[in-house]
Amino acid sequence: MIQLLKKNSIWILAGFVILVLPLVFSSGFAISLMGLMGIMVIFALAYNMLLGQGGMLSFGHAVYFGLAGYFTIHFINLMSEGAIGYFPVSLLPLFGGLVGLFFGVLIGFVSTRRAGTIFALISLGFVEMMTALAFILITFFNGEEGIQADRWVGPEPLGITFGSGIQVYYLIGVWCLIAMIAMYALTKTPFGRMSNAVRDNPERAQFVGYSTQRVRWMAFALSSFFAGLAGALYALHFEHIGYEAAGLELSGEILLATYMGGAGHFLGPIVGAILFTFLKGVLSDLSSVWYLYLGTVFLLTILFAPTGIAGLILRHEPIWKTDVRLLGKMVLPYLGALITLLIATGGIIALIEMINFVADEYSQGSILSIYGIAVETTSFIPWLAFGFIALIGIGLCRLTFPFVTRNWDAIMDTVKERMLR
Amino acid sequence: MTVALELIGLRKSFGPTEIIRGVDLQIKKGELHAIIGPNGAGKSTLYNLISGMYKVNDGSIILNGNDITNKEPYEINRMGLSRSFQVTNIFPKMSVFENVRNGFLYHSGCKYSFWRFVNRRKDVTERANEILQRIGLEGKHDVPVMLLPYADQRALEIGITIAGGADVILLDEPTSGMSRSETERTVELIRSISNDKTVVVVEHDMGVVFDLAERISVLVYGEIIAADTPENIRCNPNVQEAYLETDSCVQE
Repeated sequence: MIQLLKKNSIWILAGFVILVLPLVFSSGFAISLMGLMGIMVIFALAYNMLLGQGGMLSFGHAVYFGLAGYFTIHFINLMSEGAIGYFPVSLLPLFGGLVGLFFGVLIGFVSTRRAGTIFALISLGFVEMMTALAFILITFFNGEEGIQADRWVGPEPLGITFGSGIQVYYLIGVWCLIAMIAMYALTKTPFGRMSNAVRDNPERAQFVGYSTQRVRWMAFALSSFFAGLAGALYALHFEHIGYEAAGLELSGEILLATYMGGAGHFLGPIVGAILFTFLKGVLSDLSSVWYLYLGTVFLLTILFAPTGIAGLILRHEPIWKTDVRLLGKMVLPYLGALITLLIATGGIIALIEMINFVADEYSQGSILSIYGIAVETTSFIPWLAFGFIALIGIGLCRLTFPFVTRNWDAIMDTVKERMLR
Repeated sequence: MTVALELIGLRKSFGPTEIIRGVDLQIKKGELHAIIGPNGAGKSTLYNLISGMYKVNDGSIILNGNDITNKEPYEINRMGLSRSFQVTNIFPKMSVFENVRNGFLYHSGCKYSFWRFVNRRKDVTERANEILQRIGLEGKHDVPVMLLPYADQRALEIGITIAGGADVILLDEPTSGMSRSETERTVELIRSISNDKTVVVVEHDMGVVFDLAERISVLVYGEIIAADTPENIRCNPNVQEAYLETDSCVQE
């Protein structure tokens, strides 16, 4: 029993975090944002079954997410009209998953015949088709407006109506935990292992008896199942679904989130989805050019940390496995780098915001508030000042970053030495 | 005599160039058969045709009485033929153990299943350990394969190939780039494999070939010019002219 608890401690911890979070962040906005995070975690993990586990780069995975959302909304509406019998709302994500699975099997049959570039291009073709369809089949997709539904339908077991945000949050939380465990378990099955094998060496996989197309197709279908599950939760969460939930933009965002978190590790998409949703939810309120910042962060990730955030964290694994105290030597360099980086980005962001303010025809007056300071954009002084701060920051970064590298190399040398000893 | 593998009038062209020009070959069940020939004779192409990597232009390939001509590589593998590669062809991001396990995951009945854990299959783990022992890598169970020395990678290549339990094994230059002692180790391994399997070897090291093979086929410019016992091949004037040094018969 104790062993069982120990073995699953990470999931128990995850469950506990999901349970307690709304007690810590209890505002309506926070609960809604955290619900969205849970949905994106499922979606990103599903997406990573293709990208990270199966080596398939898809530009259109929102199709299965969105389609499941549309079907779920229609399902609820039909229920409330009494056209079909009652089905528990809390189990609708399962229905969404089956919708995703259905389309995944269907479209995957075509798109997974090839890997690599061809696969990526086919996925792009299907997502464009999807968006076009949303404006053609108006009765089903209702074009730009999308469709609404009221999730408060049917009987109310134990008073659960999903009328309040917190009830939906916990619904998402439970499904998120189930989906995470299920997708993690999948990596440990024969299928999961061969999915990795086909990613790494499709030729050899064929010569040990596996049809690479079959393995990719299965990965695609299962991934679409979980994407559909997330899509149904998304529809329940917003009580609305529109073409943007099935389109290119969300497809790109999930790629960004997964990649930034780190496609090479199971933890990566989880971290990526949470961070991305947070940035999107918070930054989009603070700045109208937040997409620019997001793009920059994405670019920097690709250039300097191609293994993502999870990769950056796990780079330290050999150190803490050798001697945790060695990590202490990195605190000062990291702190220095962080501070100088903040100075540099602080200056640069201020300049960008000022440019945006001046260039934006909807700006009123000439005074912009940056970091709580009222800035007169017509005067050259703030431009000069922020430019100066940015330059100083960049200059300091050139001192602190090599400091990080030097310390890192020294610690890695120590680690190697101790390992060989 | 039971025939394990038979090639009948096999032809393959790439564009206007005919690489395999009508190959007829019979390999007996349980035999250890070597295919030799100068560079560019078409040995690798022949392997790629038999294992399904290339499509055949003409002729047919029979494996244990079943026609496998132009079948997919995975179908041919399931029907009982497994091959190794000249350039080490393993699963680069996995451990030694996992590489070997992948070799017979399908054949163990695990196939594409996604509803059970692979670690729970005790028999699968045992069999993988057995193979590891056989190829002499039992001490390197968890080592990432890219950290293995070259000779161990070659051994692993053979391990993956024989793991699936196919009864016809094609080995492509198993000793290439190996030192004397490593070669000896590999030769012993191949000999032990051939105890209960049909083994075909393409090999450049004539010492290995004449030491190991029960029968030798000589492939020159896409044609088999001789197929016989090592002694007869050594003294065959056609073979000497085309390939072997002229005094090799005397050396014996």
